Amino acid sequence: MVSFFIFLLLVAVTSAAASSDYSERLLLRPLPQSALLASFNFRSNESSASFEHQNFRYFPRSLGQILQHAHTKELHLRFSLGRWDADSWGQRPWDGTREGGTGVELWAWVDASSEEEAFSRWLTLTNALSGLFCASLNFIDGTKTIRPVMTFHPEGHHHNSSNLHLLHGTLPHEVVCTENLTPFVKLLPCKGKAGISSLLDGHKLFDASWQTMSIDVRPICAGDGSDCALEIEQNVDMVLDMDRSKRPRDNPIPRPAPIEEIACDASKPYNAEDTCYPLDKGEEPDWSLTDVFGKPIRGACPLTNSDGDGSETVCINVPPERSVQVNTKGSYVESKHAEDTMRCYQLPTGDDFDLMLPSQKMTTGLVRSQPPLTAARSINGHGQERGSIQAVITNPSLTEYVEFVYLESLPWFMKPYLHTLRARVSTSTENPVVETYYRPAVDRLRGTHLELLLRIPPVSTLTLTYDFDKAILRYTEYPPDANRGFDVAPAVIRLVSPQSQHSSRGTYLRTTSLLLPLPTPDFSMPYNVIILTSTVMALAFGNVFNLLVRRLVGADEMDAFGPRGIKGKLTGRLQRLMRAFKGKGGKAE
Amino acid sequence: MAIDQQKALLFGAAAAVRLLLFTAFPSLPNLLTGRVEISTPVTSFKRLQEGVFLYTHNVSPYDGGLYHQAPLLLPLFSLLPNPAYHPFATNVLYTIVDLLGANALMQIAETGQTVSSRLFTSPRKDLRWSSLAIGASFLFNPFTIATCIARPTSALTNLFVLIAMAKASQGASITFILALSFASYLSMHPILLFPPLLLLCYNMRVTKARTPPNPWAYTLSHVGGLALALVALLYTSALLTGSWEFLAATYGVRLLLPDLTPNVGLWWYFFTEMFDSFREFFLGVFWLHAASYVPGLTIRLRKQPLFVAITLTGIFAVFQPYPSIADATLYLSLVPLLRHLFPLMRYTFLASSAILYTSFLGPAFYYLWIYAGSGNANFFYAITLVWSLGLSIIIGDSLFAALRDELDVERPELRGKEVRRI
Repeated sequence: MVSFFIFLLLVAVTSAAASSDYSERLLLRPLPQSALLASFNFRSNESSASFEHQNFRYFPRSLGQILQHAHTKELHLRFSLGRWDADSWGQRPWDGTREGGTGVELWAWVDASSEEEAFSRWLTLTNALSGLFCASLNFIDGTKTIRPVMTFHPEGHHHNSSNLHLLHGTLPHEVVCTENLTPFVKLLPCKGKAGISSLLDGHKLFDASWQTMSIDVRPICAGDGSDCALEIEQNVDMVLDMDRSKRPRDNPIPRPAPIEEIACDASKPYNAEDTCYPLDKGEEPDWSLTDVFGKPIRGACPLTNSDGDGSETVCINVPPERSVQVNTKGSYVESKHAEDTMRCYQLPTGDDFDLMLPSQKMTTGLVRSQPPLTAARSINGHGQERGSIQAVITNPSLTEYVEFVYLESLPWFMKPYLHTLRARVSTSTENPVVETYYRPAVDRLRGTHLELLLRIPPVSTLTLTYDFDKAILRYTEYPPDANRGFDVAPAVIRLVSPQSQHSSRGTYLRTTSLLLPLPTPDFSMPYNVIILTSTVMALAFGNVFNLLVRRLVGADEMDAFGPRGIKGKLTGRLQRLMRAFKGKGGKAE
Repeated sequence: MAIDQQKALLFGAAAAVRLLLFTAFPSLPNLLTGRVEISTPVTSFKRLQEGVFLYTHNVSPYDGGLYHQAPLLLPLFSLLPNPAYHPFATNVLYTIVDLLGANALMQIAETGQTVSSRLFTSPRKDLRWSSLAIGASFLFNPFTIATCIARPTSALTNLFVLIAMAKASQGASITFILALSFASYLSMHPILLFPPLLLLCYNMRVTKARTPPNPWAYTLSHVGGLALALVALLYTSALLTGSWEFLAATYGVRLLLPDLTPNVGLWWYFFTEMFDSFREFFLGVFWLHAASYVPGLTIRLRKQPLFVAITLTGIFAVFQPYPSIADATLYLSLVPLLRHLFPLMRYTFLASSAILYTSFLGPAFYYLWIYAGSGNANFFYAITLVWSLGLSIIIGDSLFAALRDELDVERPELRGKEVRRI
């Protein structure tokens, strides 16, 4: 059995160097159904002293100054697209700690003496980051901000954590695209000109089945807490569909190959010459970096170490029997780790570097590690008045209980009823809810924040449901595409036990985001509504007012009162005029 | 006595109908609770359950956007078993509320204050229905039954308004003040019923007592009593919830209308479509409009204070921010007390057909908008307009009839003749 263990080993990189340095690493791993996971990791350090003096070497100055201005001690920013298919792809890269929910997700520990100050600094931070990353982060206001209690823990070492405030915001509607990638790549020391970052191309990255970009800034200190450094880690993880990526850009529409080139399954009966059941060749497809990413790696980034730990920048995780050819004019070094399942390369400087894997019939494969938990969430019910949320969370483990935190951050116009919350486990009758933290939404001021500590027995499925009402908004509060619906941020799940063996950061997973259709008013007729409602009110008020202020007299007494009011006088005059006119007419005849 | 037997029979039948509906159709209460025509954001039973849930789990229900009802309801309903599992106690409670309301309504009918009061006696005073018939028209009104099954807290408000009217027309000052303060505490707008009911109570006092009390002292003592009762209720609520934030979450919501959930009234769609810069202005105008009927009606019809109070309940059913058919049912069950005015009303057919038309088309159009997607919000909005128009026709028509009735006393020679307004 060939192990997948090494992939996770690489994840647990431990570096606590206080001096400023830079390292980068690309891990490639073919997944089933011709998918390819590419994990880019860029990491650099800056000592706290030079950071305080704004002496930036590898740490990006633009981001560093924002963090100083907003008093942010630890920052996590995520841009994500697509869905991780845990059934066929297995465990998430980095145990899910470096990914975000669909759209943009941001959480940070802000240093402030009070909640209000923390929130105003948080707004400063989101507005500055919005400018830096060309994202709508400035729309993270009070309604999209929560203060999680159990789900997130600081990754860095903080001295006085009493003044630190954790704030978390999501933008599930944000579409991540090239304009977010360009500033992301600009933060890197080699800026996409050399090293593995030269592979990052918007056309391929945003064509992926799943992709997430992350930025994590945290302080790390040596054991005695004196020798501190600020570490920035940037990750890009994506799952590319190789068939799709290999299509030429000038001819992107897939067409069937000519029938002569397809090997047909001869064991099946055919009724015509032009039909064919393609024979599954059982071969791994052929691919190269140039095929998949559109270009080769443009040599090593000169700022990385040329020998030692961080020098091996490109690694590929394939079974030992798989042949991998290197195509470069420069000199490179290949080394094998972990029972030869991991091949790593030191890149040549200044020369293009490409990896080519020919198609090959395989007898062994890699073992996919199973995720400790799988989760899916959906909206039940129909109509635009109310609905219910259903989250189905499965513990596949045969022996172990799984304890986890489930975090929901819902928009204010979705009004959950906590008394309808039901958590059922398929195999037992005990209540799986261990602890609940709930902060209800306030209209137009803040969203709902729900955190649950849950426990599932082995081989069981937990079903979590609750009802909610959909609010109707003021017509100016709807977006231009009001009937599309509103996005609801993904639920975040953090495993509490069993602890991840690989890293101290924990294990996370996120559900997909939801689309919530709300009832809409008619946007075309504010004037009509104002007029019609006012008419009904005027009819009622006019009628009552008329009765209250006027006197009733007999209809036959009307003449005794004579003409009254402007109308009466006018009609009186008109009648006199008519009489005079008629009189004249009579004379003329 | 025969009357008592009949009354017992009536109440027994009404209770049986309600309990039968509760038990024979266990999903009916939740279905009706979800109807926007019956449950509004400020009276919904589902929101009450959420409030009670948060209250019993030590989360302040007012630190959220869902619960907008009075704080004293929380301990009351937390004493009852959870209606999701054991609904019987709640069902019995709401049935009793309806029966007590009917009892109060019958007491009002027995005093005969609508046809003959201290200062005014209608020439048609023999034309009235028996209190039993009036009680039956309340208890077997389909709107009342639907309200009872849906269990909104406006049923409690209706009960206290009816008790306040009954006690005022009996001249029982203390119970009248207490009932009215409870009604105002629960729903705020019943406080506007105070001037006509105070007048009614004073009239009864003058009729009963040998020495009539000084009107100023009487007014002052009652205003003071009402203020005292309200302050006591609010202070108890603050003690109970630990802070004064319930004021903004209950009365503030009624005043400022942050929740635009559809209902049968005129406010929700108007303020959905209103331009943001004019929102506060029109909120002020709408409230002023609703309150402006009180002094006008009370002064013009000072001889018939009970009629003013009845008309005001109708006005609230149309012009309050979160009206429901529970408010309309209060007015429609009080209208039979005005039986002597029916011959003088001119648009009974129009009004009753408008009410019937909207009762059937309202749910249908709401379905078309929210579920079928084949209609839009204007469908339901149009129906609420017609509903409001229908109720306001009844209000205006009965007002005309009351004035005509007064005219018949002032000038008996005009009886049966056509009259004009000048």
